[in-house]
Formats: sequence, structure tokens, C-alpha cells
Amino acid sequence: MISEEPFKIYKTPNLQSPSLVVRWSQDVGKLGIKTIGYLHKKLGIEEVGEIKPLGFFSFGGVKIEDDVIQSPESKFYSCPRNNLLIFESNPPRYEQYKFLNAVLDFAQHYYQATELYTIGGVISLMAHTAPRRISTVVNQPELKQTLARYGLETNMNYQTPPGERPTLSSLLLWVAKRRNIAGVNLWTEVPFYLAAVDDLRAIKYTLWFLDKRFELDIDFGELDLEIKRQNERIKQLREQNLEINKFIEMLESGIMLSEDENKKLAKEVTEFLEE
Amino acid sequence: MSIKFYQQPKLQRPDLIVGWPGIGNIGIIAVDALREMARAEEFAEIEPWDFFYPKRVLIKDGELKDMEFPSNKFYFCQTSKKDLIFFIGEEQPTEAEGAYAKGEKAYQMANLVLDVALKFGCERVYTSGAAVTLIHHTAKPRVWAVPNRKELIPEVKGYENTILMSNITGRVSQGTITGLNGLLLGVAKKRGLDGICLLGEIPAYLQGFPLLYPKASRAVVEVLANRLGIRIDLTNLDDLTRQVEDKINQLYEKIPPEVKDKLEQLKYVTYAKEEKPGPITEEDKKRIMKDIDKFFQKGGKED
Repeated sequence: MISEEPFKIYKTPNLQSPSLVVRWSQDVGKLGIKTIGYLHKKLGIEEVGEIKPLGFFSFGGVKIEDDVIQSPESKFYSCPRNNLLIFESNPPRYEQYKFLNAVLDFAQHYYQATELYTIGGVISLMAHTAPRRISTVVNQPELKQTLARYGLETNMNYQTPPGERPTLSSLLLWVAKRRNIAGVNLWTEVPFYLAAVDDLRAIKYTLWFLDKRFELDIDFGELDLEIKRQNERIKQLREQNLEINKFIEMLESGIMLSEDENKKLAKEVTEFLEE
Repeated sequence: MSIKFYQQPKLQRPDLIVGWPGIGNIGIIAVDALREMARAEEFAEIEPWDFFYPKRVLIKDGELKDMEFPSNKFYFCQTSKKDLIFFIGEEQPTEAEGAYAKGEKAYQMANLVLDVALKFGCERVYTSGAAVTLIHHTAKPRVWAVPNRKELIPEVKGYENTILMSNITGRVSQGTITGLNGLLLGVAKKRGLDGICLLGEIPAYLQGFPLLYPKASRAVVEVLANRLGIRIDLTNLDDLTRQVEDKINQLYEKIPPEVKDKLEQLKYVTYAKEEKPGPITEEDKKRIMKDIDKFFQKGGKED
């Protein structure tokens, strides 16, 4: 049996040991999708390759999302101006280790990528009015100093609880470590009641970090306007619904809500913002 | 896909005893108990990342320290009768949802395990699992013995407390052993190794619950320990059995009386073919099973 490469290459742009930025399609507060979506809009990004889906995804049917049939995609994009290689993908259902190695093979062999960043959201019991934080996990301790310079949290302690499994980003970080590629998982806080919609402040903070780290020179004007609009909508809801206002006030004062209150707040905010 | 050896023990025609998780974890508990009783020493492992998704990440002070995968380890020991290799797999590799191995990965895993066995001159493989059947949980489980060659039948007939498929009413020598506990013996047969699967009985009405069934593991341990010359100490297994029995009894109390009446009749079920009719007829057995199925919405099967 001839073993062929699991990826297709469309273009080989001139990147000089770029950084690889990875995001998955399933994410809290659509953080990765929106953050990278913004880069697509603001930077000159072009598609350069993809991982072939066979063997990694189920082909027993198709998924429908937002009324539209979906097909799994795993694509590489490049931004030569900023020396960035971006990988956007659905999480593979099978052969995750092989898939993640294929991602790093592509980045390492064809572009000599030396650094990996994964983007993801993490649910927080915070109020949306509080500043977001980004917690980081590194696979080489030297990276911590660099990240601390941007004010990111670099002292996370975590162990997968029983009955759960590590995230795909954690596994990618570990695979990168085995291949001596320096890597960082970026976990941006998303208030739990914005987890099902866009958390624009979390997206902006993540973009802010990428902007500073890779000197992207992003114009945040459009995003600032969207954040202003989202804040006004939530303010409107708070004025209309005193119970929701009370819940948010409690969170702002550092008071935890009950499980039922959490559920109610998330439901009301999601429905209101999706109207 | 590779095997990592920590040491190369010198072994004389060892038997291989293998355990993977399954219904009631009967096989893996039995094999692990035997490994412990035999004080077997770890000597190799199958690298897990091609087969399994990790089960735990450890992050300390912002740094990824460890990624833990399900373990697949080999152990060895020498008893008064035989040299032994144990293999214990914490999970069965699957290509889709489900707890039981199937497809290419399962076949690869089976071959890797046998590669190690053959490297050390092994000629015989034992696996163990569950036989889901119509018994009551207060009954002493028997062990169904399924060899991978006809020539082994006279031997297994001599094992204590065991029964062949052909001696079970309604089975007509047929059945399925789901997952790697069965597949391994099929692959072993292809590669010229003798193999015997020992299935400890578990009541059909318990198979759907996330319960261990150490009582059946104990029955398997007794058969294997005797055969392999392992001195047995059943204290731990008996303690575990008592704990699980308490849980089962609590569960049993919650069963509606009309279903419990049917389950009580299982105390008198004799599934082995008999010369004379037993206290419960074949018709009774069918009716009991139908009623139980209606309550638990499950079908009988073995792993």
C-alpha cells in the first residue's frame, strides 16, 4: 500500500519560519472563528492548502447548521505580509494524533514554522462588563516570560477531571512539544451568558494580543462599534428585565448565581441578542 | 505504532493472559487480579497515541507537564508451573463510538500483542470476558470456555466450574465474543497460537448497568490460577464482591415487584442441558427472559 501525504498544497507562498495560528470550528463564544474571521477581513490572507478529510471525519451523512448543510473542512491560509500561517478546521472525529501530526508536518516541512498558537474560549462565571483575561499554557517554559510581557496569565494549574477528556488544543500542544515546536494555548475568558453568541470583547482582546505579538497593525474601529452595539443591547435588556439586571449586578459584585439563575440569564441574553 | 521494551526477560514458552475492559469488567478484573497475585513485573508497553485519545492533561504553573493515555502494558513472571506474560489494556481501541474494539485499529492492536507473545516463544493465549446469561445474581457464576481449536475441547472440559457453548440450552455451540477479548483469539489462531476465552457469567438484567461484576471475575481467576500454577489470594476480590453485591441488592430493591417475581424465578433456572426436565421449563425460561427484556429493554449478549 502506498502511503500518500494527508494534505493538499495549493500554493507555496514565501513565509520565513512563520508562526502557526490554529482555531477549531467548535468554540465557546465563537472566539476562534470570529477572531480568525477578523484576520481574514483585515489582512491579505490566501488559502494555501488543506488536510484531506478521508479517515479523519465521518462520512455517514452531513451535518446541518444554521439551516445549511456542512462539510468538514481543514484549511491552511497564509498571510505573507505578517509571516503567519493559519489553520482552521473542524475537530477531527477519528485519528486525532495522526491528524495533528499532519497539521504540524505541513507547517514544519513546507514552511519551517517554529511557533504554534491555538485560540480558544473558556467559560467564566464573570459579568460581561469585567475585563477579559487570557490564560496561557505553554509547552516550553521559556515562552512564559514573553507572554507575561503582554499581561497574559501564565500560571494556570489544571488537571482533566474524571469523566472528561483533554481538549484537542491541549493534545496539539503536546504533539508539538514532542516535535520540539514551541507552542501556546491561548484561553480567553468568555462570560457564560455570552458563550452561545459572539463575545466581542473577548474576540477583541484576543485580536489585541495577536496584533501586538505579530505586529499586524489591525484597525479595531469596526470591532469597537460592534462591541458598543452589543453593550447597548445588553443595557437595553437590563432596563427591560429587572431580574436579568439583578443577576448581572450580582455578578458585577462578585456574587455567584444559583444554577437556575445562571441558566435563566444565559437563555434570556442569548435570545435577546439573537433577535 | 510501536512497542517499548523496558527489559528483555528470558522466558520459556510462556502463556499469554490478556485482559481488556468489557461488560462488568469481568475479564480485566480477573487478569489484573492474577497479575497481582503472581507479582508479575512490567516489561513493555504498546505506545498508545495511534490507538487512543488521551484521558488526562496535567498543567502546572502554566506549563503542559503530562498527557496521559490509556495504558497497554505487558508484565511477566515465572510460577511453579509456567512462565507467564500478562497484557492489560485499559481501553479497547475503537474507530467509532462504542466501548468495544472493531475495525483496523483492533486488528493492529491484536497483532501487536501477539508480536510480543511470539517474540518470547509463547504458544498459548488466554482471554477473558463476560457471558450474559439467565442467572440470578445470588448464584455462583460458571465460566464458559471457548477454545480457538477443536483439539482443545477435551482439555477445557477438564476445567472446574466451566461449560462449553454446546452444553448451553439454545446456544447450539454458537455465539459471538464482542471486541478484542474475542478478536485476539481469532488472530492468534491465524498465527498458529492456541487460545482459550474464559467468559464469566453475569445476570442478563445487570449487563446494562455501569457495575463491576467481580463475582464472575473470581470464577475466572479460580479456573486460570489452577491451570497456570498461581497461588491465589482472593481477599481483595472478595472485598470488592461484597461492595458490589451491596449495590446490586440496593438496585434490586428498587425493581417493581412484578418484575422482581420473574427475576426470583431465575434462582431455579438451569440453562445447562439436562437429562431430566428441571424445575423451570424451556417455555418458562423464554417467558421470563421476555418479561425481563420488557423491563430493561435489553437483549442477551456476551462480550
